[in-house]
Amino acid sequence: MPVKVAEEWLNICGGCEVTILDIGEPLLDLLPELDFVHMPVLMDHKYFGQTGEKEEMEIPEADVGIISGGVRNEKEKHVTEEMRKKCKTLIALGSCACYGGIPALANMFPLEALYDKVFRESKTTDAGDTPKENLPPLLDRVYAVDEIVPVDVYIPGCPTNPDIVVKALTALLEGKEFKLEERSVCDECPLKREKKAAGGQIKRTLDSVEFDQSKPWDQTRCYMEQGYLCLGPVTLAGCGSKEGNGDGVTVPRCIKGFMPCRGCFGPIRKGANPLVDMMTAISSIGLDAKQVPDRRALLNRYIGAQKRLRPLPVRPK
Amino acid sequence: MADEETFEPVIVGFCCNWCSYAGADLAGVSRYQYPPNLRIIRVMCSGMVHPNLVIDALTKGADGVLICGCHIGDCHYLDGNVKAENRKEAIELMLEDFGIEPERFRLEWVSASEGPRFAEVIREMTEAVRALGPSMYKV
Repeated sequence: MPVKVAEEWLNICGGCEVTILDIGEPLLDLLPELDFVHMPVLMDHKYFGQTGEKEEMEIPEADVGIISGGVRNEKEKHVTEEMRKKCKTLIALGSCACYGGIPALANMFPLEALYDKVFRESKTTDAGDTPKENLPPLLDRVYAVDEIVPVDVYIPGCPTNPDIVVKALTALLEGKEFKLEERSVCDECPLKREKKAAGGQIKRTLDSVEFDQSKPWDQTRCYMEQGYLCLGPVTLAGCGSKEGNGDGVTVPRCIKGFMPCRGCFGPIRKGANPLVDMMTAISSIGLDAKQVPDRRALLNRYIGAQKRLRPLPVRPK
Repeated sequence: MADEETFEPVIVGFCCNWCSYAGADLAGVSRYQYPPNLRIIRVMCSGMVHPNLVIDALTKGADGVLICGCHIGDCHYLDGNVKAENRKEAIELMLEDFGIEPERFRLEWVSASEGPRFAEVIREMTEAVRALGPSMYKV
């Protein structure tokens, strides 16, 4: 009997749903065993009955629930709670669901300041009131799913890696647990490290790293040691897939594209603080930590929920 | 929450085993008076105090953090205190990111023979932190 799956998207761009499609051929093997009973991105299914006649939100019972996206407003909070009630296993898919994601950068500002900026202070906007009619009110900040309800499986990434979606779904079908190993991107990265940066200057990511595609990976210098801000040391591994026919080296995805890691897989273990760890890593290899622009936002780019980003405390006068 | 008059700052002090902790001992056995606001944690070297510990302390209830180590050149492990000094700049930047006043964090060198100086450093720091008032992360 196929496993019933309910999928729900909240505060998200939709990229993680594309990742499910991006699984490619393995999806064909998986599909007969999956029965999607609720998935707003694919199927027309209204929460309160087809004509809105029902009083209570209706999400069908399912064995596996997948939630992508963080929780920004009351409606999303309601949907999250309903999903938890109806699903036996709940998967948080993507960095938004796991850590708040890009939208959680807004957690640096109080809600009122955001409203003022968007509806009144922006130069290209005619000042007006904050719209309220027929809209679910926003929560005070962006929440990760596990701040609202307990989550069983985390699959981070922005967007995530199709390989680990397959691994997680297969593990669940076989009744096993799925958890990413607590390793950093650097543990997985094959680039050559000399533990000392070439110069103290931090370079802009717009300048290309030095590489030679004809050479094997272990002859390319670590991007961080070349002077680029790479979040590998403080980011959970898992984005990389093995090269060739599955027998080559594992290369993290951004590194493979000759770009430094941006940190989308989030902190290596619960409770870690990547901003602090990263600043330490930068100064310990001899780069000038003062040159990191907009440190709070840059080093918490995908992980602003769970109180990692919050408005700075102000002393009452 | 304590009001301004009864406010007693909580200061967490990381003292290295070889110089500063011995310095604190000396201050004790020589009966030098210093405020009781300091909570000393003995570490093997000032160079092992990860910035995470400093930020964690300051965001979870401490009003100030003091790291004490040997004078430069005196380190039992040769260059542990140099590492601590290199981290100081990064820690000061992070205090800014967390909205914590820079005066709440200090790195001081106290040798095993400097009991009076240890007492003096604690007095100075306690007064500086008391003047700032309670940490804004205190709930």
